[in-house]
Amino acid sequence: MVGNRDHRPPLPPLGGGRSSSSISLAAPTSWASTTSVSASGKRIQREMTEFNLDPPSDCSAGPKGDNLYHWFATIFGPSGTPYEGGIFFLDIIFPSDYPFNPPKVVFKTRIYHCNVDSTGNVSLDILKDNWSPALTIAKVLIAVKSIFANPNPYDPNAPGVAHLYLADRAKHDEIAAEWTLRFAK
Amino acid sequence: MVSEGSTASASESKPLGIANDADSFLSPRFKSAAAMAGWDEEALLIASLVVDDTPEREFQQKKRSVLQRKSPASGSRRKRRTLTSIISIPVAVLDLDETEPTVKDDGPKQEPKSAEAEAKKSDSMVEQKADASSLTSSTLPCMDKLREELSCAICLEICFEPSTTPCGHSFCKKCLRSAADKCGKRCPKCRQLISNGRSCTVNTVLWNTIQLLFPKEVEARKEAKECNSREKKIQDPEKAFYSSLQNYDTRPIGTSSRHASTRRRGEITVQEENGEWDSRVTQRAVSSNAESRVQSRMHRRSIRPMRMATRGVDVRSSRRGTPDQDQDAALALRLQREEFLEAFRDTTQVHTRSSLSLTRANIRAIASRAAINLRISGHQNL
Repeated sequence: MVGNRDHRPPLPPLGGGRSSSSISLAAPTSWASTTSVSASGKRIQREMTEFNLDPPSDCSAGPKGDNLYHWFATIFGPSGTPYEGGIFFLDIIFPSDYPFNPPKVVFKTRIYHCNVDSTGNVSLDILKDNWSPALTIAKVLIAVKSIFANPNPYDPNAPGVAHLYLADRAKHDEIAAEWTLRFAK
Repeated sequence: MVSEGSTASASESKPLGIANDADSFLSPRFKSAAAMAGWDEEALLIASLVVDDTPEREFQQKKRSVLQRKSPASGSRRKRRTLTSIISIPVAVLDLDETEPTVKDDGPKQEPKSAEAEAKKSDSMVEQKADASSLTSSTLPCMDKLREELSCAICLEICFEPSTTPCGHSFCKKCLRSAADKCGKRCPKCRQLISNGRSCTVNTVLWNTIQLLFPKEVEARKEAKECNSREKKIQDPEKAFYSSLQNYDTRPIGTSSRHASTRRRGEITVQEENGEWDSRVTQRAVSSNAESRVQSRMHRRSIRPMRMATRGVDVRSSRRGTPDQDQDAALALRLQREEFLEAFRDTTQVHTRSSLSLTRANIRAIASRAAINLRISGHQNL
């Protein structure tokens, strides 16, 4: 895990170029920028490094393949909730102007939760209007994890589940645990 | 006697080390080393003053200050110096019986040692610096924390030209601006309203601190920024320019290809020639074989385009931008001058006609380049 520092984007070579900027042999310096990734790519790369160095508990995340903008993540259902023992897979898709727009987070594992609809879309304020460029994937995953323990039935993605949650919490938990057992193990 | 000799040798090798890395001058390690060498605080202070005032003369002056303080050592030192100048390699013969020879031999024997120590020291310094530049460890124990503190929450890198919001959070100026543009005028960290992302100013103290603490990162980002902006600006025009250059190679005596090559060495040669100009003009000796030289020059020129073709790629990479209008004008003037000078040098008075024709060709080439530039700027405007 610690060895992942290697993933940092290569810094362009230093020295040279600057002082002898007239018409000289500063050839190699111009190559670095052409090979380096965009600002969003850089930021994602850095986030990945930092995530691997200090991942939040019960979470993991990383790029799916070569595409830096397409991650997958896993969250272990927190103990003390009906989702305990389940492993939930998520897809994370970064916009090209990340971090100025929020990433798209989708549950790949079916879950009985009032804030997650049947296609896996999550209703989470920080993934919509309350997004801030200072937020990172680690923080997003922590927020997603927090809705396992504290669902928000007043901003539901699945109104039926929210209704049951408010009306009959025990029944809701029972169904949620059953779904966890069925889909997330 | 022995100890005196050793202190003298050590103190002589010391200024060398200081000359090498003047900034590490009063580090604790140096202080301890100086203490071992017998330097006291006063001598150090004097030396530091000398360093601050006259960096290039520090070596001699410091020595003098040492001499003033340690006059008895000077005698043995002088002796030793003559010895070291004769015997460059450390002496293998060690005569430990008598005191006098030991002192004499002491110098060359000890000097390599102290030099070695010096080398080791500087080595470790270099290592330290390298460590500091590498991302893991640091010169300061709290460097990692500092890095964390001083990095921008938006790009997650060390703040570049940090700008501080009214609520006290700092981000790169550029990052804050785009955040304000795209995510509304709220602080990315605490969501407090920030008056206006447009009018953000650089927090000078913070910026200077960052530049002092992370010079390498800052330099790298500056470099990257420059490269990016330049490349974005000129990539297409440059291509167009060089492709057109290739076309013009078939034109009159390869003048345009000459442009490219003289542009690279132009600055030096022209300056040189300007210096020589007067003497050349006054001499104006008519040489009999000038004609043949012109011939050979023509030949050289005809070769140039071929060389250019192979060099084309490397020119493109080494020259990161086409010159702008002003630079272009200056270049044209310079080239013209150079062409004149060269004409005079090679052909002298008799062949002014050929130089004239050269100039004409040159001017034609310049005109065509200007046309290209106009076209390029037209494209850019589109």
